[in-house]
Amino acid sequence: MIESLLGRRLVIVTGKGGVGKSTVSAALALLAARSGKRVLVCEVNAQERVAPLLGAPPSGSEIREAIPRVFTVDVTPHDAMRQYGLMVLRFKTIYDAVFENRLVRYFLRVIPGLAELVMLGKILWEAKSEERGAPRWDLVIVDAPATGHAVQLLRVPQTLLDTVPAGPLRSDATWMQELLVDPVRTALAIVTLPEEMPVNEAIELDAQVRGLLGIPRAALFVNAMPETRFTHDEEARLAALASAPQPLGPAALAGRLQAIRAEQAHRQLARIRAALDLPMAVLPLLPLAAWGPEAVERIAAAIAAAPPEAEP
Amino acid sequence: MTGVRESVAARRIVVCVGSGGVGKTTVAAAIALERAVAGARALVCTIDPARRLANALGLTSLGNVETPVPAHKFAEAGLAPRGQLFAMMLDVKRTWDDLVTRHAPDPARRERILRNRLYQQMSSALAGSQEYMAMEKLYELATDRDYDLIVLDTPPTAHALDFLDAPERILDFLGNDTARALLAPAIGAGRLGLRLAQLGGGYIAKTLGRFTGQATLADLGEFLQGFQGMYDGFKERAAAVRALLARRDVGFVLVSSPSPVSIDEALAFHERLHAESMPVAGLVVNRVTPDLWNAAGPLPTAEELDGPLAAAGVQDGRFARRLALTLAEHQALAVAERQALERLLTRVSVPRAVVPRLETDVHDLAGLASLADRL
Repeated sequence: MIESLLGRRLVIVTGKGGVGKSTVSAALALLAARSGKRVLVCEVNAQERVAPLLGAPPSGSEIREAIPRVFTVDVTPHDAMRQYGLMVLRFKTIYDAVFENRLVRYFLRVIPGLAELVMLGKILWEAKSEERGAPRWDLVIVDAPATGHAVQLLRVPQTLLDTVPAGPLRSDATWMQELLVDPVRTALAIVTLPEEMPVNEAIELDAQVRGLLGIPRAALFVNAMPETRFTHDEEARLAALASAPQPLGPAALAGRLQAIRAEQAHRQLARIRAALDLPMAVLPLLPLAAWGPEAVERIAAAIAAAPPEAEP
Repeated sequence: MTGVRESVAARRIVVCVGSGGVGKTTVAAAIALERAVAGARALVCTIDPARRLANALGLTSLGNVETPVPAHKFAEAGLAPRGQLFAMMLDVKRTWDDLVTRHAPDPARRERILRNRLYQQMSSALAGSQEYMAMEKLYELATDRDYDLIVLDTPPTAHALDFLDAPERILDFLGNDTARALLAPAIGAGRLGLRLAQLGGGYIAKTLGRFTGQATLADLGEFLQGFQGMYDGFKERAAAVRALLARRDVGFVLVSSPSPVSIDEALAFHERLHAESMPVAGLVVNRVTPDLWNAAGPLPTAEELDGPLAAAGVQDGRFARRLALTLAEHQALAVAERQALERLLTRVSVPRAVVPRLETDVHDLAGLASLADRL
């Protein structure tokens, strides 16, 4: 699974808020860099998490190398607009004359989807651009916003194709959409937790990706999976022991809570496995208080260990 | 210190805010249930409830319709409400359509807007649209109906500010006179480009057209034209919503989990609400890992568990080792969460409730009632 994913030019990582998208993005970047690739990880107008997860300072809107061969950037509407504007208009003097005009800035701010378009445009441009006949990046990873906002972002090219007549916007939308739906160059990965709401949302997201976006899906990451530590018999025993005095009572209660959580997680894992026909990697719940390079290492190891053809 | 329950007891409107995945919907439903049981006519308006919770509230479909929670659901939960509980799910598109219908001067204008391509994209494509419509619906419910309590669950916003700024930003978009004048479909002038050239300085207009395409600007012009004359009605209403939110019988409830992301979000909300003089009624910290070890000494080793286990008739060294490990991991998490929450709890001094991670998802009225007891 990992080879197929990292063999693309563009990998989009998405899922509900708080499921670990940044951690998975950072781990994928780490694995790609270890196999010799030059990687760019893009966050989209976010509080930057990827560079800090790799133990580096946030890079802001300038591309910076966080660890060897892994570069990060936070794409913001303002900077993306500027870069995009410069690309379209070619000359900085024209850009300044036009884009620093207050009225024009107003238009750019209010035209629905324009901010998303320029941010996505910048990311996709990085993914497709070449220098001296070779790709500028071996792999671009997008740590996409949470589900609803990600769909909004990724839908912009198609929306423009549906609504905008011929013109510069349309021709940009055309190449962007071609790249997004190209199964050779692009893949989308969904991250979820083995809990009810995140699983519901992952199933809905998958339907939207297939129906609405048409972006090739390549992987499902089920993050923070608790291990099965106690048997059914032991769980029953724990319930009885939980009322014992210290130290056994608290230990049995902790054990019981763990067992219940693991059981629920397995139910949700089975649900999503049945619902989505995607290669799946199950990532462990880490007993770590602080999220940083160590967590990324361990998640990367779990991804690397996922079976190559984990089709259910 | 009084709890969140007491703090919201006197409010007519409660708005639950916080990042996604912290249990906002469940808290909103629990607050409404509690008051309904106590005798009020209470409504909970949700955005995107978990299926089982929706089922528990008797909600089967979207549609902006307030539905009474059926009596048998209460009976199943062993509850005898003295009041009534209603629930509804917000339909963003429908709320927009209702708003346009209400303000359109005539049927022709209404149809022109409802059929416009940009308008049809608006409910999904325009950032903040969901937030704006949640506010709009709240105002309608608060002024046109006779609920004793309305609890609003809010969309999971990308940024805390979106929620309060969205109406204004969208109105700014719909109502900008200069933009409308510039983009007005050229009546008589023949081509949009000409009109732009007359009004806005040809050089800039031409370059802008190069950037977006002239036809896009024309579409936008037609769209904005459609809203002409309705804008004042919209604006008045948005101002009324803001005034409503600052009233003393309104209370915002911040909902957070112990995760750093949701703590940041709750802090940002709190700061903003405070700056706007909007009343914060309480803080609910949800899904907290309970502290199981309140003894002063260190956590037990596996060997220290062997004795008590043997006394209870269990002799299994590996079982003891797994138990010791599980307790250690559990407590490490509990301590880390407590430290992360310190930041939130010291800076937000409002009535609060810390709710432990429950053993099962709340999926029926009995679960909601027991959550309400903890608030």
